Amino acid sequence: MQRKILEFANLLRQSGLRVSVSEAIDAFEALDALSIADRDVFRDALRASLVKRGDDIATYDQLFDLYWSGFYDNLKNAFDSATGSLGEQGIDVQQLLEQIRQMLESGQMPEGEVDLSELARALLTGDLNQLEQMIRAAAAQAGAARIENMLQIGFFSRRTMEALGAEGAANELRELAARLRAAGMGDAEAEAIGKLAERFFEALRKSVRDFMERELQTRNFDYMEKFRREALFEKSFYSLTEEEIARMREVVNRLAQKIKNVMSIRRKRRKKGKLDLHTMLRRNAGHGGIPFELVFKEKRKDRPKLVILCDVSSSVANVSRFMLQFVYSLQECFTKIRSFVFVAELGEVTPVFQDHDVSKAIEEALEGGGVINVYTRSNFGMAFHTFWRDFLSSVDAKTTVLVLGDARNNYNDPKAWCLRDVHTKAKNVIWLNPESPSAWGFGDSVMDKYLPYTTMAEECRNLRQLSRIVDKLVL
Amino acid sequence: MFETVEDVQKDLEKQGYICNRRIATVVYLACKLEKPVLVEGPAGVGKTELAKVVAKASGRPLVRLQCYEGLDEAKALYEWEYSKQLLYTQILKEKISEVMEGTKSLREAAERVGKQDSVFFSEQFIVPRPLLHAITSKEPTALLIDEVDKSDPEFEAFLLEVLSDFQVTVPEIGTFAAVTRPIVFLTSNDAREMSDALKRRCLHLWIDYPDEEVERRILQVKVPGMDAKLVADVVSLMQKLRGLDLKKTPSISETIDWARALLALNASVLDEDLVKDTMSVILKYEADIRKAQQELSRMMTKATPPAATAPGMPVPPRKKGTLH
Repeated sequence: MQRKILEFANLLRQSGLRVSVSEAIDAFEALDALSIADRDVFRDALRASLVKRGDDIATYDQLFDLYWSGFYDNLKNAFDSATGSLGEQGIDVQQLLEQIRQMLESGQMPEGEVDLSELARALLTGDLNQLEQMIRAAAAQAGAARIENMLQIGFFSRRTMEALGAEGAANELRELAARLRAAGMGDAEAEAIGKLAERFFEALRKSVRDFMERELQTRNFDYMEKFRREALFEKSFYSLTEEEIARMREVVNRLAQKIKNVMSIRRKRRKKGKLDLHTMLRRNAGHGGIPFELVFKEKRKDRPKLVILCDVSSSVANVSRFMLQFVYSLQECFTKIRSFVFVAELGEVTPVFQDHDVSKAIEEALEGGGVINVYTRSNFGMAFHTFWRDFLSSVDAKTTVLVLGDARNNYNDPKAWCLRDVHTKAKNVIWLNPESPSAWGFGDSVMDKYLPYTTMAEECRNLRQLSRIVDKLVL
Repeated sequence: MFETVEDVQKDLEKQGYICNRRIATVVYLACKLEKPVLVEGPAGVGKTELAKVVAKASGRPLVRLQCYEGLDEAKALYEWEYSKQLLYTQILKEKISEVMEGTKSLREAAERVGKQDSVFFSEQFIVPRPLLHAITSKEPTALLIDEVDKSDPEFEAFLLEVLSDFQVTVPEIGTFAAVTRPIVFLTSNDAREMSDALKRRCLHLWIDYPDEEVERRILQVKVPGMDAKLVADVVSLMQKLRGLDLKKTPSISETIDWARALLALNASVLDEDLVKDTMSVILKYEADIRKAQQELSRMMTKATPPAATAPGMPVPPRKKGTLH
């Protein structure tokens, strides 16, 4: 049992859960304290001691089913159906098995000793517990833990059968049947034994294959998931499908949560300032003015104010979408967020975010939020000019201005001086461009004109880059 | 204390706390293995209540530590009583000069004082805070560390010693080990993920929203005198509301509040108008209320037989915050 629990703990680890040794020991203790006859209690006890994060519970439940819902049951099914089909042929399997068992136990084998291997013995006596253990051991020996894809099932099944010594056992059984016949056993009975051996052997083969399939499922449970997540991180925003956008939203939320957690620690680490004499005297008045407790002024870290300018033309829509989602999931990390969208016209969509929940507001903002026409050609110059004219007053020395766009200006006037003025007033101007820096300034890209007026300009084409930038932003 | 898992379930029920097997199993294990339990789950599902009820059921006094940002060891573990120490030095001045009598050099005097200094750093001058109190208490206690996620990460480090060895170390005096081990519950709303070190020392219990049957039983216990049909309607509507994508999903405490409100209004049938009028009890955000109202007629037709709803009735404008 302990081995099985350790193996299960290992499996959980492979699927990305953190299970320490001491937690596995807790699981043993918990099971000692309980009767494990009740499956639900068993499940809950393991869960309480091994799984410590709410997010992991779903994974645990699935793996628990896969792992504990018993290979044994499958084994039993296979052998039951084998005996069943023999029964249809008019063979009383139970009696036959009983007969064989007696023969083996009494050691009265015809024609001297027939040295039956362990496997053959287990097959003949229908000892499924023993069989299960043997299959597990053989699979381990065959390296089944390394199984990675469907195509390997056949290979590992074969190797496990070899490790089991299945071929030898089959021969032994055939020989046994022949000897029994020679010893004067009735033809029918001997034949029945032969058939029994054959069927059981078949059941064994099936079970081993089945075992491999389960193995693959459990090992790979998180593999696909992880693979897809990794891929999502690297995947360019340009080529996301509808479904991927939905999944991406989840990932962004999780990332935002992570950043928030880090933030809560970071804000604590602000340095202590000078001695706060006033407060200290007041607080120590009870001690006759003797300063037992020192009180320091605290240096608070300012939370940045954020102004976001989002290009919502189709080429950058996805970058804008995830950036907005990020920023609004991190709302509490900023004192104030104002968001603007533009293609050629520029308009403020902050109210949209106040009225609706985030995901809906984002979709609406990408449609222009009812303030701009999105079915025009990009014109950064015009957009910046509008911002400069109407909203420059919203930028102050605590404001970070975030521009999302590819700077493909359709050969219009870039009006870089608008951005220059913004740059002088703002704390930071950060430009995120989904194109790689080597393309900046070529064709109709005017990125090179804007570049001098940014504090930081980064390529932002996938989630990994985006999350890195957001991390810098809240720092 | 509790003999079996079923015992736990029964004893908690006697105290008016309906729980499923999972919760009972973890509570049983916590008592049996003497391990702390970290209880997580959405707000209002009865995490704190569980600790209180277990304390009551086991007849232990409850020691409660409410966590918040900036909570430090002086408020959670122990504190030296400076003013008392100061006062004592003043009062004992004469005694001190007695001790000093006959000393020739400054060094000798300092040595003599040094021999006595443990007087001023003794248990007498320690103010025990909840954690130390729970540890040193002669009778067994139940310790509730509430909303541990609100505390600072550094504070978790203080907890580790208490949770794994049930002892508190005071540098000037030594180590206080627990006479009897308390049952410890830590609750968290997942505002921040707890450190692995802390989690490793605890059993974990995730309490989710209850299923329909459990919630019905909770209502019957918590709001007696309510019509069974009404209870069923209320619960089924709540279950459906939880299916919506809301800012704040209503939990058990809201269900109970709502049931009480309905009882106070002498309601016997749950119809759409009534729900609309009392919705501010269940949902705490304007946007949520709006969303729920849109979905309401669809949900209500399933919640109650069509005869009970009154289609075509004019909907009175909802008064803002009438029941807050």
